[in-house]
Amino acid sequence: MTENTLLWRQVHPSWIQEGRPTSQTFKPTLKDEGKLSTYDGDAIAAQPSWSHFTGTLRRESMGVLGVTVGEFQAETLPSAHDPQPDFPQHVSVDYTAFSSGQIEKKSKRLRVVATTRGWQFLPG
Amino acid sequence: MPSSPFLKPRLVGGRFESHDIPLEFLRDWAVFEELVLEVAKWRFFEANPGRQRSPRGFFQGVSLRLSTVEEGSAIPVIVLSIASSVAPMLFGSDVQGYLEESREAIVSAINAAELNKSAADHLPENCLGYFQVFGRSLRDGEAIEFDTGTNSARLTTESRRRLLAAAKDAIVTDRMVIVGTIPEADQEKGTFNIQLADESRFPCKELVRHQKEILEAFNGYKAGVRVRLRGVARYTAGGEFQGVDEVTSASIVDPLDVLSRIEELGQLKDGWFDGQGKAPPPNGLSWFAGVFDDTYSERLALPHVYPTVAGGLRGEWSVGSREISLEVDLKGRTGEWHELDVNTDEENGRSLSLDLPAHWKWMMERLGELGALRND
Repeated sequence: MTENTLLWRQVHPSWIQEGRPTSQTFKPTLKDEGKLSTYDGDAIAAQPSWSHFTGTLRRESMGVLGVTVGEFQAETLPSAHDPQPDFPQHVSVDYTAFSSGQIEKKSKRLRVVATTRGWQFLPG
Repeated sequence: MPSSPFLKPRLVGGRFESHDIPLEFLRDWAVFEELVLEVAKWRFFEANPGRQRSPRGFFQGVSLRLSTVEEGSAIPVIVLSIASSVAPMLFGSDVQGYLEESREAIVSAINAAELNKSAADHLPENCLGYFQVFGRSLRDGEAIEFDTGTNSARLTTESRRRLLAAAKDAIVTDRMVIVGTIPEADQEKGTFNIQLADESRFPCKELVRHQKEILEAFNGYKAGVRVRLRGVARYTAGGEFQGVDEVTSASIVDPLDVLSRIEELGQLKDGWFDGQGKAPPPNGLSWFAGVFDDTYSERLALPHVYPTVAGGLRGEWSVGSREISLEVDLKGRTGEWHELDVNTDEENGRSLSLDLPAHWKWMMERLGELGALRND
């Protein structure tokens, strides 16, 4: 991965309203233990990442947003390969160094970055 | 006209914090008077089993009046008023005693309903039907409290439903707010059908009264244009929607309409977010929908609304370079307000008690200052 590598983030259907994703998309949940799950855009394109997420992993996604490694770095959020048995393209973005207030700010900025770039894949 | 203190119930809930009473409650209290008189008659016949009729003019000149509203959320002071020309005769026949027995029986029935005991032990089934109207103006989280001497009997949406379930006619009429599309309208008959999210259809009569909105929704049916109807509907005692009785207002629904979004989020089940994600509590959603509908200014931009994994709601506004959010705890009825200017990094945060009108006022003023105004 380089700083220009796009990392794909899947967006849950309930987290989109009238085409607008919530900034929660860029906050790790408690279960994620401070790490945001993404796909390595150098290893898989946006559409196949959606197919993998909804098919192989049997999870829900209404679309795919993209943020580069460098854009995460600008928020002091390091990303690293974190392959799983059925998810070899998995990349974790590490938020563990930050408080919930700091994560709130970062998630808002990242939502703007991602939506300015636009949806990378929306199922038809 | 002589009067004596009769009842000082306490109205509890956000709408009564300012120590006044919404006008819609006047209808409830008018029916309360009818209930008191009807139960007093029942007490009379119980005490006089040989009588077929009550004495002529038994309640003539008797009325309950709202004399003032005291502070303490809001406490309407209700007095018993008896016309001076008939007072001696009435007191002679102990009408006042029957009215006081009536009051005690009503409060006992409310107390029993709240404790999930039999309200029919205290009131006849036909009298329980008066709760069709008395208490209809209450919303979730609100209560009318009656002093029993040892505790407070609370009439709430839940205890009212139990009272009505014990009535002879177990169909309940209640305030209605429904959202749906209009697949059919008959201009000649002045009727239309509303189709709800589950595709069930219900006939309504007042097409002429709300013609502009209903026909706009009818013409936009294929584009998904939705309309919100307010009025009175019939429900089973279990709360199942049975049909529309009266439509008092109709309005075209904004794509970001918060009430219908909340209705949609009410369908979420536990585990909705990849196995985690708590379902928002129905009573919390109902409370938020009510307070938002009552309070939020129409001149402000509507928020996008999302569920949180913790079972709450999150409203978000994007205004220029400002990203604004309100994360709502539906159980604690609190909110975390946060705004960030993504260009300057300037931020502002505040914890809010969403039961307090003053905190809603602050939030709405702040949205106005930030320019979160409706475009149309």
